[in-house]
Formats: sequence, structure tokens, C-alpha cells
Amino acid sequence: MTKELKFESPTFKQRIKGMLGVDFYRLFHTPLFCIFLAIAAIIPAMVSGFTMMPDQNGNKIEPLYSNVWQIIAATEPLYVIREIADYANMNMVFIFGGIMVSIFIGHDYKSGYVKQLFTTHAKKEDYMISKTLVCAFAMVCMCLTYFIGGTIGGLIAGYETSVNVGSLVCAVLGKMIMSLGWAALYTFLNVIFRKYFGISIASSFFFGTGILIIGAAAILGNSPILNIFLYGSSVFACLSSNLWTIINCLVVSIAWTAIYIIVGSHILNKCDVY
Amino acid sequence: MNAIEIRNLTKNFGTKQALQGLNMTVPIGSIYGFIGENGSGKSTTEKIICGLIRQSGGSVKLYGKDYTDIDIRAKVGVLIESPGCFPNMTVWNNLKLQADNLSIENPDDEIRKILKLVRMEGSAGNKYKNCSLGMKQRIGIAMALLGNPSLLVLDEPINGLDADGMRIMREVLVDIAKKGATIVISSHILGELEKIATHYGIVRGGKMIAEMTAQELDESCRRFVAVKVTKTDMAKSLLMRKYLRIEEDENQYLRVYDETTPEKIVCYLYENGVLINEIKTDKIGLEEYYIDLMKDKGGR
Repeated sequence: MTKELKFESPTFKQRIKGMLGVDFYRLFHTPLFCIFLAIAAIIPAMVSGFTMMPDQNGNKIEPLYSNVWQIIAATEPLYVIREIADYANMNMVFIFGGIMVSIFIGHDYKSGYVKQLFTTHAKKEDYMISKTLVCAFAMVCMCLTYFIGGTIGGLIAGYETSVNVGSLVCAVLGKMIMSLGWAALYTFLNVIFRKYFGISIASSFFFGTGILIIGAAAILGNSPILNIFLYGSSVFACLSSNLWTIINCLVVSIAWTAIYIIVGSHILNKCDVY
Repeated sequence: MNAIEIRNLTKNFGTKQALQGLNMTVPIGSIYGFIGENGSGKSTTEKIICGLIRQSGGSVKLYGKDYTDIDIRAKVGVLIESPGCFPNMTVWNNLKLQADNLSIENPDDEIRKILKLVRMEGSAGNKYKNCSLGMKQRIGIAMALLGNPSLLVLDEPINGLDADGMRIMREVLVDIAKKGATIVISSHILGELEKIATHYGIVRGGKMIAEMTAQELDESCRRFVAVKVTKTDMAKSLLMRKYLRIEEDENQYLRVYDETTPEKIVCYLYENGVLINEIKTDKIGLEEYYIDLMKDKGGR
């Protein structure tokens, strides 16, 4: 006797709700997330603290920053690096975030979870969307802990605190919005290099440093055209930001997210997934 | 309509041709034993059915629809190699995650029901990494059963299990089949497979070389008369003078495959001074049939 066959698959909303539930559950139950939140908080605190320490001869060295909020974002959108202070700000979260995403997604493959997932009704698009959203959330959280760590570190180091609050909020919001685009990029890279965990991490690190945009800026100059890229817009979210910066970050982040999700899903659909 | 219908399936990995025009038909409600040597293309075929890898050519239809159809995929349960579980999570949580992925209503009730079916109700709180191999395989079956699938694809689910583990697994699979699911199961342990399979597919070199029902297999299996004697060597030489196909099995039985009766053999040996301890008629099992078939096809 065979049972009656009914082929009804869950709707997109049901599928994505289920998958997001699983990914968020995993995120909140893995020590990885807490470790990276702590790293995001400690690094800026250490950077600001170290720059106030005396050198080998006991002389006070030139402070890296002049203002607490420069630890959060650069004063001006500078794509070319003049000094480390132009580079060492909240954009570093996107480097740590890349490594975290690689480990998070790499574990899906290592444990065989993707095998369990893709043999069911799960679409490749659902996977890309779910991972991107969860990893973006993780990076937003890292931005917050970076902000807290950087602010406390800067205050302890005794940096000046004057700032245009509106611009600071726009800068932080802009960087948080960029987390979505970065998460999509890292999810995409991990889908491409899914069989090679080391390459996934290396490529995430490579793109996260923004070295390609920094190199392009060295040739093109400090051109605003670089804002069309993830790193460019992340730099654009600085202490001179305004509402336009947020709109720019929103458009760039969503556009790249859409591109990476579409291309990543296409690749997964055309290739052997496990 | 069949549960699975595969026609001219090919799969290339670079220059290596893993599947070379494989055909396969799995009737609805059957337990399909999928047999073949290592590297014959069993796992590749199963991975294609499960949507993990894409075929290079040919068609795969599940219940008359393309295997990539999302509605069909929702009704397929799979255990390929090992279960895709997170080692640091409990058995319950791993099943809960899969239930969430499948958007199952009342997941707790469903998980409880399935854990009982696979005889794991007392181990829900154990961490996956602390489970024995047999338990892990049953967790894999439990995961595959979530969502009440119509088709189960199980790759080597009984490998590495002890006798008791195999018995439990066999009972579980029979229970599942009774509920109406179609099961495709690959295994090298043919003796176990023979106890539950209703259909067989034998694959070699990426091609299906034989497909039959359990009844057809039964009819195809060679019959023989087996005798156990005290003077085995003497009896063997005597029997070889009269019969063409004589073999000695691992239990020191002399098997006569020629058309004859036990009475004729008893008389013949008795007349030549050989006393018989035991005599019976029997037929070869799946394992020997498989070995014979491989010899016929130029293997081994």
C-alpha cells in the first residue's frame, strides 16, 4: 500500500523564515560570534592605547589620532592611505567579518549541513539570502562593539571628544549599512571557494582590506567614482558624512548584495554543491 | 508512474566518466537495493537524485517530474555517506534545525515520533559527537524521515554497524516501508540487503547491468544439493566423476549444481562407501548471484 502523494512545498516566506531561524540559532550558539564581537571591541581599544604609549627611550610618541571619533571613521573620505590612522577605523570590522563569515559558512560544508539542506526543498537563492542577512547582522553587531571598544579606548587614552554628532551617526550608520554588501561579498566568495577553506579565508581577507580600491585610488587619485565599490563607500562613510552618505551606502550596498546573490545562486545552481 | 525513472544518465568528472548512460526504474513503494562495486557509480547516481551534483546528460524523473522540481525535493529524504549534523549540538537540536529548515508544523511532536521510530527516544539529549556509529546512522535516518518523505535515498546506512545495529536498522527500514515510503538503499552487505529489498539494481562501470524484482532474483538463483560427509576429499572426487559443477563452500558442504536429487546423491555416495552426515537442497543467495554476475560480465 502506498500513501497518497501530495507535492506541496513551502512558500518562499516559509522557507526563508525556517532557514533564517536555523542560521540565527547557529550564530547565537557558536562561540565564534562572541569571539569576533570581543575582537571587534578589543582591537580599537588596543590601537588607541598603544599609540599613547612611550617609545623604547621613554619619549612620548606622536599620537595616531587627534580625536576619539577618528578611531571610528576617518575625518575625510581618503581612499589613498597617507598614514595608518586613515586606515585603522571601523572599516577593519569588515576584515574580521570576512574571516568570521568564512568560518561560519565553512562549517556548513565541514559538517555536511549543506548536504542536508540542498537535498530538501531549499533553493540556492534562499541559502545565499539567509547567509548574507545573518552574516550582515553579525557584522552590524561587530560595528557596535567596535564603536563601544573604540570610544572607551579613545576616552581612556585621553583623546579630544569634539565631533559633529550628526556626521558621526551618519558615518556609523553608513558603515553598518555597508555590512550587508560585505556579507554578500563574503558569502559569494565562500560559495565560489566552498571546497577550499583556506582560499575562502585568504580571499575574504584580501578583499576586506580594500587593497584593490587603495591600488585603484593610487592610480585614479581620490576620485568619488570609487564610491561605487564596497570599500569606497565604506571609506565615504566618514566624519564629514551627511544624509547623502547614507543614501549612497544604501544604494551601493543593496546593489552589490543583489549582484552577489544572483551570481552566487547561479553558480550554485550550475555546479555540484557537495 | 515510478518513484524514480532515470534514462541515459551520464556524469563526467573532468576526463573520468563516472556514469555511462545509466538507466534505472524504482517502482513506488519498493525497497530498492542498489548494488555495485566501489567506484561503480552508485553514490554518484544517488547524489544526482538528491540534487547534490548535476548530471552531464540524460534525465532523472522523480514521480514523473524533473528531480530539480522544488515540490518534489520537499518529499525526498536523504542520508548520503554520513548525516550532516553539527557535532557540538544535541541530537534533538540537530533534528530541530532540520525541522525548521523544512518548515515543519509542530516539530517537537514530529521529532519525538521519529526518534521513537528509529529507537533513539532515550538519546535525544546526547551530543551528536558522543553518539556511536550506529546511533549516528539512525540519526541520519531520522533526519531523512523529517517532513514525512515519499522517497528515501540511503547510501550505505548499515556499513560499520554491529549485528544488533544492523538488526535495528533493518527493522526501522521495514517499518518505514510499511508506512508507504519508497526506499533506495545502497550497501555492500548483500546478506542484509537481501532480507529487506523488494527490487534490485546492479551497477557496474557506470551502467546498470541488471535490474530485477526479489522474485525474479529468486528464480534466477542457481539451485544446488549440499552434502556434508566425513570423507570430504573422497566424496568430492567421486562426485566430480559423475557431476560437472561441484564446489565446496566455507562450511565444508559439497555443493552439486547439476540437475539431480538428494536421493540420487545419497545412493551414489553410499554405493561407493561414503557415509553422509547431512544433505539439503538450497539456492545461492544475492551475494553469490552478484559474484556470478560479475564473473559473467568479465569482472573479478
